[in-house]
Amino acid sequence: MYLSAQNLYKTYGDREVVRGISFELFPGEVLGLLGPNGAGKTTTVGMLYGLVNPTKGQVTLGTWDVHRQGRQARQYIGVVSQENNIDPDFNVLDNLLTFARYYRVPVAEARARAELLLKQVDLQDRAKDSPEDLSGGMKRRLVLARALINNPKLVFLDEPTTGLDPDARQGFWRFVSSLKEEGRGVLLTTHYMDEAERLSDRILLFKDGMIVGGGKPQEVIAQEVGQEVAEVEGVAVGMLEDLAAKAGTWSYPFGNSTLVVLPAQAEPLWQALVELHPSRLTRRRANLEDVFLRLTGVGL
Amino acid sequence: MNLTKSFTESVSLWGVYSVWRRHVDVYRVTWLSNLLPPMSEPVLYLFAFGAGLGPMIQNFDYLGQTVSYPQYLGPGMMAVAILFQSFFEGAYSSYIRLTFQKTWHALLTTPLSYTEVFLGDWLWAATKGTLGGFITGLVVVLLGLYPWYALLLSIPILILGSLLFGACGLVSAGLVKTLDQVNLPTFLFILPMFTLSGTYFPRGNLPGASRWLAEALPLSPIVDFLRWPLGLPEYWPWQLLWLICMVLMAAYWGWSAIRKKIFL
Repeated sequence: MYLSAQNLYKTYGDREVVRGISFELFPGEVLGLLGPNGAGKTTTVGMLYGLVNPTKGQVTLGTWDVHRQGRQARQYIGVVSQENNIDPDFNVLDNLLTFARYYRVPVAEARARAELLLKQVDLQDRAKDSPEDLSGGMKRRLVLARALINNPKLVFLDEPTTGLDPDARQGFWRFVSSLKEEGRGVLLTTHYMDEAERLSDRILLFKDGMIVGGGKPQEVIAQEVGQEVAEVEGVAVGMLEDLAAKAGTWSYPFGNSTLVVLPAQAEPLWQALVELHPSRLTRRRANLEDVFLRLTGVGL
Repeated sequence: MNLTKSFTESVSLWGVYSVWRRHVDVYRVTWLSNLLPPMSEPVLYLFAFGAGLGPMIQNFDYLGQTVSYPQYLGPGMMAVAILFQSFFEGAYSSYIRLTFQKTWHALLTTPLSYTEVFLGDWLWAATKGTLGGFITGLVVVLLGLYPWYALLLSIPILILGSLLFGACGLVSAGLVKTLDQVNLPTFLFILPMFTLSGTYFPRGNLPGASRWLAEALPLSPIVDFLRWPLGLPEYWPWQLLWLICMVLMAAYWGWSAIRKKIFL
């Protein structure tokens, strides 16, 4: 069962926020949607599970049209939304049991499944606690457990780790990897590049409501940027532009620094940069953030 | 025909029940804090006006029958309980679930349809109104101001009124942009009804056009119907028709206003 978005458009008044998005997501694949705030990621995700009506285009899950046969399609979908929309009036376990009722899961089966899921997300000892007493990371794990109560084929993770500390993010990533291993399709939207790079099999880069690039993370990085980059501070932007152009690469100013892409034969350009005695000079592997700077001109 | 087909395809009894049941389950957890303050209000008015003001008011004529003021007031307070319980559940609680808790959004990630979530919320607001009206009615019966069999026979009126004001509450939840703005319908719509619809005094006492304005208020027919043991106005079939029309219009308006808010 795979998800297919075909030529999606969304307009609010005169403002076109999504413009002709098409892609597919297959079972066992993690697809990352990346983009700066306002790029149309969340609107696209809303259209994918039926909460936002597309102005034009179609979304299908298997044989179901998500907008005409939403009830059938959402039977196979689990959603971790940006907000922790957990029921504060129920305890942790009851949050899952109440959700199971919406899917018509029989009571005994729902209880067994809820207990198993709480164990999987390390919340088995908090089953009787109020969600208000959980930490940010625990709340996200509870929302994830709730999204899995119907044993979905496809899971949407919309900015799942925003606001979490590094430890909690690492923990959450472990659960995302297990979803993939279980053969579920995962659609991940995030503006954390390390998260996308680590979890996604394939990424799509969004800008101004359109897909401006995509592919396997490492291939996209190699293709759009290269292997290595230097971050330079305290040198005139024009001088760095000239140096990069002579070496057949490019540079891009961001914040107080300038990003200079190093060519395959990196040493001559690197030495030239060192000889400029910049106030700060860093050499590192190219990453998705550099790709984004190149493709969109927007820092994430 | 297409509308009916589309409605039946997007609404299942299970879907509506599961949303309604969610609210019942929350209520079972929080019933004490939720029930006591609003329920005490009409009972307090009944006591304050019935016992405090009642002795100063002589028996008077209502539809050809001589009634005491507390007898007149009792059904009025049942109507007030319906009004407050169902409207505020729709206006405040649904708004909070919609805007702060994002419960509606969470439910719409499941196989539930929007109409099922709306109907579940509406029926829950109506359930609270019916319960509120019935419990106030029990107090009125215990005070000897209303026959017990009349309370049982009045249940359909309690339900109809609760459906109406629950729907009005949902209209408010769909239209307001902040929680503070709920004060607008409360002061412009609910309080005039609470005071002028024949709850505390016959509408015929009102001067000039204000009387006809009061007649048109949705609570007026409910109050009149709840006083059925004392008699009904001659034009009651028209009132019933007006009431049913208002229920349908308010429900559609609420459905459409909240839909616009969710499905941007």
